[in-house]
Amino acid sequence: MDVVPPALARLIEDLHRLPGIGRKTATRLALHILRRPAAEARDLARDLVDLHGAIHLCRNCFAFSEKDPCVICGDPGRDPALVCVVEEPADLMAIEKTGAFKGQYHLLHGVLSPMDGIGPEEIRIGALLSRVKKGTVAEVLIATSSTVPGEATAAYLISRLQGMQVKVTRLACGIPMGMDIKYADDVTLARAIESRMDTGKP
Amino acid sequence: MESCSTLAIVLEVKEFGESDKIITFYSEDRGKLCGIAKGARRSLKRFVNKLELFSVLELLYTNSRSSSLVMIDQAELISSLPLLRQNYNRYVAAALIAESTLHWTREHDAEPALYELLAWSLNYLTDPRHPPSWGVILFLTRLYTLVGYDLQLDGCVQCGTLLPTLSPYHFYNSRQGFVCSACRRRLQSSVQDPAMPLATGTVKILQKAKILPLVKLNRLKFTQNAESEALILLHGYGKNLLQRDSHSWAFLAGYSKDHKG
Repeated sequence: MDVVPPALARLIEDLHRLPGIGRKTATRLALHILRRPAAEARDLARDLVDLHGAIHLCRNCFAFSEKDPCVICGDPGRDPALVCVVEEPADLMAIEKTGAFKGQYHLLHGVLSPMDGIGPEEIRIGALLSRVKKGTVAEVLIATSSTVPGEATAAYLISRLQGMQVKVTRLACGIPMGMDIKYADDVTLARAIESRMDTGKP
Repeated sequence: MESCSTLAIVLEVKEFGESDKIITFYSEDRGKLCGIAKGARRSLKRFVNKLELFSVLELLYTNSRSSSLVMIDQAELISSLPLLRQNYNRYVAAALIAESTLHWTREHDAEPALYELLAWSLNYLTDPRHPPSWGVILFLTRLYTLVGYDLQLDGCVQCGTLLPTLSPYHFYNSRQGFVCSACRRRLQSSVQDPAMPLATGTVKILQKAKILPLVKLNRLKFTQNAESEALILLHGYGKNLLQRDSHSWAFLAGYSKDHKG
């Protein structure tokens, strides 16, 4: 005999499909929703239904947005000649949080991962190349992660952008702020030395 | 719980939950293992820059009583093979080697010669003088032997007629080797798959790839025709035996699009 009511079981199954949510967590969340007032559950359901209807991809940078172009691409204070290439929306948010970048973005929505069947045609590399070919972009800042797939994606982008009339830069890689040098790993330290900065005239 | 230390090569990295990573690695003395590294995505000390694809590590892990997943406690980076991430074509070849190892091995089934071959092949790919596809050919030719599916390249698998009497060479995936013209006629009804014709040069270089010691293997040089034929042969052979394909084949440089399917 199944002791879980079917409606609750369905919600547990739905929540369990979300990334990082195991069956126990899904059950806890479902029971929490059930214990809260019905109005809260209705609001949650409405927000979920509205999500796909309201949010689209910006046709310029492929960020999730309710407007097209998105808030960043539509901002006249942003420099359209400087384009930062990121893997995912979460990376865009992390860079925006710094307040240090005043250009526009290009979201790949993934990285090159042959073992998962993801090649150049599966992520938005073609759209980036078309954007650069239009001639309005002066610099492409590649801000993919420094993992193996992120670096390989950066290497592929650099090779494809070579020969185009555009400056290609890569996010610097080195010692995190506040870290003692003797605790840095060899690879990071070597990269930090390779990409050392000129502090001015002697 | 038993704590173990081993040399290992990372074959697959998957993010798990908010801050963990699931790592599949091939170890020198325990074969393929899958482990969880708690907090690896946030760690700035224990795991940063270490649990990356193709890295050679010295791992300290603990076996679990209730799960086949081991607990990765510590990792020391021996080599990160940076060229494999700085060149897309080499990255794809290394991914194909890692994916094939994942498909062709079982957990806790140690094969030191395979660990040695894997380490050698990934190092071979970091040498700019070697085309990435050659590394794939050399690895797969020997992998099939190590996992018990040796390519039969010495003679007809039916009657035993030896090379070079056998020429022209027709390889059949279903028979895992050559079938001579006389046997082909005799077996016409039972040999269903199409023959893969191979040039003498391709057969000879694959024979050498199977038997040469690893230290001499990098002397082998493939002609364009031998490279192309060997890739088609090795891809079809593995796919036929496993009844599944490796995704990475679709992106391998120098491999004809007609055969990637």
